[in-house]
Amino acid sequence: MDLRSERSTALVVTDDASYARNALDAIWSSENEDPKRLDPLIIFQTSSLARLPLQSSYVDQVIFFTRSVEFPVDELYAEIFRVMTPGGKLVVYRSFQIEISEVETALSALERKLLLAGFLEGERFQLKKIAHTVGIKAKKPSWKIGSSFAIKKTVKSPLKIQMDDDSDLIDEDSLLTEEDLKKPQLPTVGDCEVGSTRKACKNCTCGRAEQEEKVQKLELSADQLNNPQSACGNCGLGDAFRCSTCPYKGLPPFKLGEKVSLSGNFLAADI
Amino acid sequence: MEMKSMTLLILYATQTGNALDVAERIAREAERRACTVVISSTDDYDANSLPAEDTVIFVVSTTGQGDTPDSMKVFWRFLLQRNLGSHWLEGIHYAVFGLGDSGYQKYNFVAKKLDKRLSDLGATAVVERGLGDDQHPSGYEAALDPWLSSLWSRLNEIKPHFFPKGPDFLVSNEELIGLPKVQVTYHNVNDMDSRLSTATDFKYLQMQIGRARSMSSGKVPHEKSKPDAFLKMVKNFPLTRASHEKDVRHFEFEFVSQVIKYEIGDVLEVLPSQSPAAVDSFIQRCNLDPESLITVHPREMENRHIDNNVNTLDVPIKLRTFVELTMDVTSASPRRYFFEVMSFFATAEHEKERLQYFASPEGRDDLYQYNQKERRTVVEVLEDFPSVQMPFEWFVQLVPPLKNRAFSISSSPLAHPTQVHLTVDVVSWTTPFKRKRQGLCSTWLASLDPEQSIYIPVWFHKGLLPPPPPSLPLIVIGPGTGCAPFRGFVEERAVQSQCKAKGGGFYAAFSRDQPQKVYVQHKMQEQSERIWNLLCEGAAIYVAGSSTKMPSDVMVAFEEIISKESGAPRESAVRWLRSLEKAGKYHVEAWS
Repeated sequence: MDLRSERSTALVVTDDASYARNALDAIWSSENEDPKRLDPLIIFQTSSLARLPLQSSYVDQVIFFTRSVEFPVDELYAEIFRVMTPGGKLVVYRSFQIEISEVETALSALERKLLLAGFLEGERFQLKKIAHTVGIKAKKPSWKIGSSFAIKKTVKSPLKIQMDDDSDLIDEDSLLTEEDLKKPQLPTVGDCEVGSTRKACKNCTCGRAEQEEKVQKLELSADQLNNPQSACGNCGLGDAFRCSTCPYKGLPPFKLGEKVSLSGNFLAADI
Repeated sequence: MEMKSMTLLILYATQTGNALDVAERIAREAERRACTVVISSTDDYDANSLPAEDTVIFVVSTTGQGDTPDSMKVFWRFLLQRNLGSHWLEGIHYAVFGLGDSGYQKYNFVAKKLDKRLSDLGATAVVERGLGDDQHPSGYEAALDPWLSSLWSRLNEIKPHFFPKGPDFLVSNEELIGLPKVQVTYHNVNDMDSRLSTATDFKYLQMQIGRARSMSSGKVPHEKSKPDAFLKMVKNFPLTRASHEKDVRHFEFEFVSQVIKYEIGDVLEVLPSQSPAAVDSFIQRCNLDPESLITVHPREMENRHIDNNVNTLDVPIKLRTFVELTMDVTSASPRRYFFEVMSFFATAEHEKERLQYFASPEGRDDLYQYNQKERRTVVEVLEDFPSVQMPFEWFVQLVPPLKNRAFSISSSPLAHPTQVHLTVDVVSWTTPFKRKRQGLCSTWLASLDPEQSIYIPVWFHKGLLPPPPPSLPLIVIGPGTGCAPFRGFVEERAVQSQCKAKGGGFYAAFSRDQPQKVYVQHKMQEQSERIWNLLCEGAAIYVAGSSTKMPSDVMVAFEEIISKESGAPRESAVRWLRSLEKAGKYHVEAWS
């Protein structure tokens, strides 16, 4: 129970006014709550109520007491969730005048509804002082403080968190202005031809990078290796001088007419 | 008044090396103006020290998605803290230059955000931020050149103490080429002590490595330059079948020197050996005598005091040994400035032109194809430019330093007190130009024969995987060579446990064995319930492996598993995992 405030707000929702008084006494005593600490708001006749007249994150505790089977509509659970503060507790009591066997189904249905509405740590219990009444306690998650969430198995919770989370860092995107988001004016380079000055982006997706790679493959014949010729005169000079399409690319420098030695590289792997 | 630093600090965050190139250029321009400067990557700099600085220049790249480079992530996160307040950097001056690509929506976001944040923290901008754009025909230089001009002129106005030789002092490029940052002194044979010739005992080797490395860096203190220990290989066998594309080896080493007490999860750094033929070829190409005795120191600058650790009475070592131990000529690629300096020393016109082109903004992309993407080595570059005769000092300054390679140790010292084991992927690949290349260190280790007793210089340090308490339940994810550190974990547990572990056991995922790839996250999903049970028991999570994507894929798999098994929404699973990280129970070691 969050003891942040001296008085915490509580909401009691019920469809049976006459029953409420006794029920409340019983509930409070079972919870060991000092009634003076609570400041309950009681809402009756909620059988057709879909919205609660309260602002969000307002109440710390909600006690939901009902006898009817149909009541309440699902929207009411969402509303209860909304008006609760994070970390707040919900207790739902159902009083039964039906067969014990059906209690189980009714309770499971209730548990599911609560889970779907976003409540966690659903726990069944029985109220001894009032007959035929069972209840489910649940919590609204308190994400702001730290996270704790339901574990399906009954294992000791490993999930306690000591968090100083990233709220101690400023938001870096706030450092940018409108001006910053604009791109600079560049002299236009109106080409799209592969091979001219404009190069493909580093993470090219349009295929231009592949095109540029393709332009570079020409196979070497044995003759070319034994008696290398070069019209441009650059082939023998070494990779630093060769064109991107040169068939001799990758080979060490050589003299025209002399056989090219394949591996002049001290770190070349034995092929 | 507080004595503030008289040194200009340049902090860079580079993704592909461009921001580093720019940072180095700014540093050179500072030095040409007799300004003392220090340059550091953001992941080597403790943000806590910022308030003690006087003026800081930031050079930061933005990746395609608008993100900070990996090397800036921790630094940036630090700066984003709300509780730093708006006065934390009061009195500090700064300037930001960003590298980006306006072809992307989030153009230069990192620089823009950094600029604003620094100002919000109380710092004062020296000049407006500069934004380099890859899409500009001249690349980032179009923005950098004018930005640098205004930076120097403004700094001269408000911080004249950075320029002790006055605002007009500027070493010209011609003069600069005569001023490499290192000085090499040649010594007579008579100066040497008599143990030089064939000493093979490891103590001598240790001293040599120490001397060479501290001379090379000019600032690393002697202690860490010397290896912590020497190992020799005793077992070397493959873990993968011969037909496999990959070659993963299991290595077992023994201490030759004194035994170092290490822990599981520790990292072993190895100084690789370079091919003797390559080293010889390089020395020959430079027209140098491998047997000459040298000492290397930083060139004395007038406004720079000599560091106490740099001992001008350093014992000389053989030139060959210096090259072998400290200058990477066969694996690392040189930087852009290397090509620029080379152009000064090229006698053939076409070579000079080409080198100048490579060093220019227009040639940057072609240089990237030729050099960085191909992993062109210094020896290879020299082969392509035979007319270049560069003084050895420039090579010492510009050839990439030979770096140690780090490996996760895969043994437990409890199980093997005098040994260290490694699980190593022997790296090999084909370049875009279809050349076959191999990793320097992994190949060298794989080639070692236990019969030969070659000494391997090593250092030990802590990794990112702290040894867990013996009874803590663990979930370890280690695809591929990622299993290496966990082998150590397993060995250690086996030794530690007095009784059988209750139902522990290991579940391994074997990818590649079947036609469709099965990734570790799929196997995790299969064991979803079991993983959840372990987490409920308070298990810690360890992830290791060689991939940039795998750790985040694994994280996502955990989120899904937690969400599914507990019934909670995804966001709570995410937050829960984050809190696990903060509590020190989620560890990742990823290498590329």
